[in-house]
Amino acid sequence: MSGVRAVRISIESACEKQVQEVGLDGTETYLQPLSMSQNLARLAQRIDFSQGSGSEEEEAAGAEGDAQDWAGAGSSADQDDEEGLVKFQPSLWPWDSVRNNLRSALTEMCVLYDVLSIVRDKKFMTLDPVSQDALPPKQNPQTLQLISKKKSLAGAAQILLKGAERLTKSVTENQENKLQRDFNSELLRLRQHWKLRKVGDKILGDLSYRSAGSLFPHHGTFEVIKNTDIDLDKKIPEDYCPLDVQIPSDLEGSAYIRVSIQKQAPDIGDLGTVNLFKRPLPKSKPGSPHWQTKLEAAQNVLLCKEIFAQLSREAVQIKSQIPHIVVKNQIISQPFPSLQLSISLCHSSNDKKSPKSATEKQSPEDHLYVLEHNLHLLIREFHKQTLSSIMMPHPASAPFGHKRMRLSGPQAFDKNEINSIQSSEGLLEKIIKQAKHIFLRSRTAATIDSLASRIEDPQIQAHWSNINDVYESSVKVLITSQGYEQICKSIQLQLNIGVEQIRVVHRDGRVITLSHEGQELQDFLLSQMSQHQVHAVQQLAKVMGWQVLSFSNHVGLGPVESIGNASAITVASPNGDYAISVRNGPESGSKIMVQFPRNQCKDLPKSDVLQDSKWNHLRGPFKEVQWNKMEGRNFVYKMELLMSALSPCLL
Amino acid sequence: MEAPPVTMMPVTGGTINMMEYLLQGSVLDHSLESLIHRLRGLCDNMEPETFVDHEMVFLLKGQQASPFVLRARRSLDRAGAPWHLRYLGQPEMGDKNRHALVRNCVDIATSENLTDFLMEMGFRMDHEFVARGHLFRKGIMKIVVYKIFRILVPGNTDNTEALSLSYLVELSVVAPAGQDMVSDDMRNFAEQLKPLVHLEKIDPKRLM
Repeated sequence: MSGVRAVRISIESACEKQVQEVGLDGTETYLQPLSMSQNLARLAQRIDFSQGSGSEEEEAAGAEGDAQDWAGAGSSADQDDEEGLVKFQPSLWPWDSVRNNLRSALTEMCVLYDVLSIVRDKKFMTLDPVSQDALPPKQNPQTLQLISKKKSLAGAAQILLKGAERLTKSVTENQENKLQRDFNSELLRLRQHWKLRKVGDKILGDLSYRSAGSLFPHHGTFEVIKNTDIDLDKKIPEDYCPLDVQIPSDLEGSAYIRVSIQKQAPDIGDLGTVNLFKRPLPKSKPGSPHWQTKLEAAQNVLLCKEIFAQLSREAVQIKSQIPHIVVKNQIISQPFPSLQLSISLCHSSNDKKSPKSATEKQSPEDHLYVLEHNLHLLIREFHKQTLSSIMMPHPASAPFGHKRMRLSGPQAFDKNEINSIQSSEGLLEKIIKQAKHIFLRSRTAATIDSLASRIEDPQIQAHWSNINDVYESSVKVLITSQGYEQICKSIQLQLNIGVEQIRVVHRDGRVITLSHEGQELQDFLLSQMSQHQVHAVQQLAKVMGWQVLSFSNHVGLGPVESIGNASAITVASPNGDYAISVRNGPESGSKIMVQFPRNQCKDLPKSDVLQDSKWNHLRGPFKEVQWNKMEGRNFVYKMELLMSALSPCLL
Repeated sequence: MEAPPVTMMPVTGGTINMMEYLLQGSVLDHSLESLIHRLRGLCDNMEPETFVDHEMVFLLKGQQASPFVLRARRSLDRAGAPWHLRYLGQPEMGDKNRHALVRNCVDIATSENLTDFLMEMGFRMDHEFVARGHLFRKGIMKIVVYKIFRILVPGNTDNTEALSLSYLVELSVVAPAGQDMVSDDMRNFAEQLKPLVHLEKIDPKRLM
């Protein structure tokens, strides 16, 4: 409302009665005072609503009071009102204008209320200040400045706030993106090492060696999962990797193939599951991600399983004299009598710890790492073979298959030739052969070593070749006497150790084949050593100028040796006076006899026949030398001393 | 002289009746390289092989209307490989469930005097051609991509001329009869070659 002063309205007349007219005689005619209602109606008509007043409340209160006064006629008045509106009869009722005005005011108030409530939400409508020009010029410029400053500050603050909000949003997004990106880059790295494919919304990988030629039916699939169970707000641990792999439960943990050779075959009833002895999990290589080690371990388990499956299949299929036994996770075979080769698959899962394995510790020496390694090599060779055996047919229309197989018809192969195409040695056969060879080699080495340490006199030397085949290795055995290595080189043996037997090649080209039994080799070496002594005497005689009268490697006389034969030699001194006879047997040892000239024998009975002095040059009887009482550190040295003692002084 | 009787009984290879499942398509010369590239990725991991084959088609006409056809094929680039004699039966289109053309098939490896033998039997050479191309394998599926060359002078395989500007692509499996499952595998494989080549079962009767 404008600030115009309100007109005071009094509803009571100052005087009681109004003068209507003053007569000429000075008499006043009074108007009859208005009744209460008439007065009210008159006053009400005089209210000008378009002109506000300062005493609105008062007026409103009055009006209300009036309305209450008129409450009795309310209902009828309402009706009248309606009629009045309809009939357009103004002033039918004294409060008509008041009512109309109040009504319109109410309407406006309602509208104003609605508008305000809408404006308050700031959704559909906002209040904009009218341009400054509209303001009356008399506005205070300082206020204006203040308001404008306030406004611009508020605007700046809003811009800043918006910027901050955007920044926080982008920071959180970045963090999320970083994780996402890390996952993708990890996936890329994974992709470089492993075969992956997408199936539905999953990413599956291939652990199997199928692309390398494996025929193992295990699918070997692992699943690539996104590691999302980490809270973004918390600190990310060091080893956190956004990519994780889920491997099949049967490939978890670590596994290896254990090959061992035992001397005695245990009772089959005792055979049980081979216990694991624990191996520390392979440490992940620095720099390689955590999934790489996990997948490599799983792939190793898969390969071990494949090896074992292949071996057990062959063990059942192969017909051998002593059947191979497959019990639980163990394959038992007997390469040699009283020798047992056991191949077992040890698989430990990480979570399941068996307390038994800790107590029962296997001795590591019967654990053949070489064979285990070779098994891995063999299975890979096998894979390669299956890959390379797939040959493309030529001409192109021909069916797949081996070329020689297709040639068999046109070239009329016989059964043997066809069999030779098909036959291929299995993994088990190969590994048994290797085990036999390894066993034979170690037994040979043990035999030679024990002989060398037990027997001092002829010395035995073994020179093992460094480069061996898996099925063959060789050793050179030299038998010498200490101090006489240069002259006593008669016995040089080349031992070729194969799978089933040992071939011995002499220096002169003779070949002897020995079986796998260790005793045979030992007996052979013992007889060679005893022969060596006799050979040494022969060599020594040459050097000393003695004459060899007789020499025999195998003497048919004397006591029978249990091993081999005794050998003997007889040498005569340069002037022929003395003769030394040596008989050496592997078991009986050496027996040395010296023959003296006849004239030196005092106790010789005089013979009637040999009267002449010329017969004195005949040799006399033999006398045995007490060999163990001789000076000298070994046989050849003693012999040298004996020979020099019997030789005449040349000076 | 009376022509030898020609049996019209279905020819079977031994005890097992083998069938060839076949899908065919073709690519233009310029898109050969991308197809080869794709096949190398899809097929078994081995070095891709090329081949040059000489095929001769022999006919034996009897009283019946349709002659008996045998195909003799030899490799020109591999010495020592046996000749290949092949009988192919009438192709069956089959219904929609079978995704490949099926025909009876007998494969025999023979010695090199096959032509003389066939001539003696009364066969007559109908036509010959040289096929030159690439060979792939995926499991039991064989994929051959080759171009057919016309032989200008009969018998001289060095003097040839390309028949078309495109390569023939064949996806085939030889399996015992009734194993229609292989056709599903073939369909799946053909799907993977889709934008490069469309392998379909093509009824040769409709082309004639």
